Amino acid sequence: MNSMSLRKKRFHKGLRGWLSALPFILPGLILVTVFIIYPMLFTIRISLSDYRIVTGDITYIGLTNFKNVLFETKEFWYAYRNNFLYAIVTVPLIIFGGLLFSYLVNNLKHGQSIFKVGFYLPVITSWVIVSLVFKYMFGNSNTGMLNYLLVDVFHILDDYVPWLYREWTGNGAIWVMGIWKNMGWAMLIFLAALQSIPKDLYESASIDGAGIWAKFRYITISAVKPTIYFVMVNMIIGSFNVFIQVMLLTSGNPNGTTSVLQYLLYNRAFSKFEFGEASAIGLISAVTIILLTVLLNKIFLLDEKESGV
Amino acid sequence: MSINKYQKFKTRDRITQGFIWLFLLIALFIFSLPFLIMIASSFEEFSYVLPYPPKIFPTSLDFSAYQYIITQHNFLTALKNSVINTSITVVIAVFISSLSAYGFSRIEFPGREALFAVYLFTLMMPGFLNIIPQFIVLKNITFIPGLPNGLIGSRFGLILIYVATSICGNTFFLRGFFKTVPKALSESVVVDGGGHFSIFFRIILPLSTPAIGTMGIFALQGFWEEYFTAKVLVGANENMITLPLLLQRLNGEHATRWEWVFAASILALIPVIILFIISQKKLVIGGLTQGAVKE
Repeated sequence: MNSMSLRKKRFHKGLRGWLSALPFILPGLILVTVFIIYPMLFTIRISLSDYRIVTGDITYIGLTNFKNVLFETKEFWYAYRNNFLYAIVTVPLIIFGGLLFSYLVNNLKHGQSIFKVGFYLPVITSWVIVSLVFKYMFGNSNTGMLNYLLVDVFHILDDYVPWLYREWTGNGAIWVMGIWKNMGWAMLIFLAALQSIPKDLYESASIDGAGIWAKFRYITISAVKPTIYFVMVNMIIGSFNVFIQVMLLTSGNPNGTTSVLQYLLYNRAFSKFEFGEASAIGLISAVTIILLTVLLNKIFLLDEKESGV
Repeated sequence: MSINKYQKFKTRDRITQGFIWLFLLIALFIFSLPFLIMIASSFEEFSYVLPYPPKIFPTSLDFSAYQYIITQHNFLTALKNSVINTSITVVIAVFISSLSAYGFSRIEFPGREALFAVYLFTLMMPGFLNIIPQFIVLKNITFIPGLPNGLIGSRFGLILIYVATSICGNTFFLRGFFKTVPKALSESVVVDGGGHFSIFFRIILPLSTPAIGTMGIFALQGFWEEYFTAKVLVGANENMITLPLLLQRLNGEHATRWEWVFAASILALIPVIILFIISQKKLVIGGLTQGAVKE
């Protein structure tokens, strides 16, 4: 057979493949192209332009938007810092709490589903609702639950604290909410991983006299390692999607010190109508997320090679 | 093991169980505080002064806040819109994603892996990086008569964006499951003269119902609570308001009437909780991580 007919054959085979695949992938492909991929490319264009949404005028201005975002005010750097802080503070606690609770729930003989549903409740409650409850709890006078407890009941503080109007207490409230909201998700994922560990492994360990901690350390942790990685990557990427809680709890106050990238983007686009700068912020966060994902993948793969899995 | 030793083992086990229960109960109580506060406060009368001290347990069962919310015209509108939007979106999204996942897992075609990599890549992008161009695209779809603003402020536009943004993730999730269905099973269909559509409807779909159901439930919950896209795309149209938009608006307009905000929140939350309690035993959570780890 000569190369000509071989190529022809391959071409025909490819064509046949596409023809039989098209009915299946076409509806999705059209929607993804029109509403995801094209908008992504358009965002790059807007970020390099002065864009007027009402008239539709779009003028190329180079990197001006990026310069404005990065160097004109400190807002961007506060927001960028806060996204990283959110990840650094909440992700370890979510993983620790999720592991602890899933391990304990998994060891229960009765009533597992009470705790499963109970801890998962914050996950299925919408961000809008939990933000509103936290806004009420962290209220700045004696009607806020926290102020009431700290000042009127336990007399730890002399005066009411305006929690959501200060930089670090405001950020703290956002972190607490993030941990509370996501821990149940981590727990459920870990629980699924734990349930796939063979039961007799634990049984033989207890007969050998291994305590609850030894079993946790040597059996559980090593079995759920890949799942820990999965939860970690998801939560770190999620840390760059923080938005509603900031909008409803602090609105970035005071002076943008509790803001995050997504809130900054929203604010630039839909309050100040600076679509170019908003797109620049979006692209910077996208690049950050991609770099982080690549980096985490590298670290994890290295780890896997070392442990010989 | 002697009987005596076995008894000792059992007692120790009982004590451990007791401690775990106690610990988890205390943890669950602390975890539930925001919900308890929300429920207790929805039975209070806030008018212009907030109740002092703040309540964790309800002191009375005063349903007037609920009554007020239910009789509000825009609550029923929001409820109706949320139900319609969520159900239509989930059905279409699940169907299109299943088709795509079949294409990407069972049919060989050139460029398949590259195209799938593009789908995966879009998953890494922050959710609303695209909202500005999406808004513009919808605004420019003006060929449908009777819609001068294009698809802005219309249910159809919102559903289109919802479906489109969920395809890549769902395809990824389902592809992992479809791959685990043994190829030999589909051969019987091929022997009967059936093509890809018969395999899809007669083998893959029935065998993947747990996975598709799990995906559907997570999608349902996600669309039910979606706030940002709805605010940008239909927020200006009073008739298209959804429950999350209504909740935020209640808080903005009546800053001190927390009982209304919380009553409406609880009403919005009840369907989701019921759905989750019914389905929790059947959810296939393990599969969520499988595709990601094995890939």
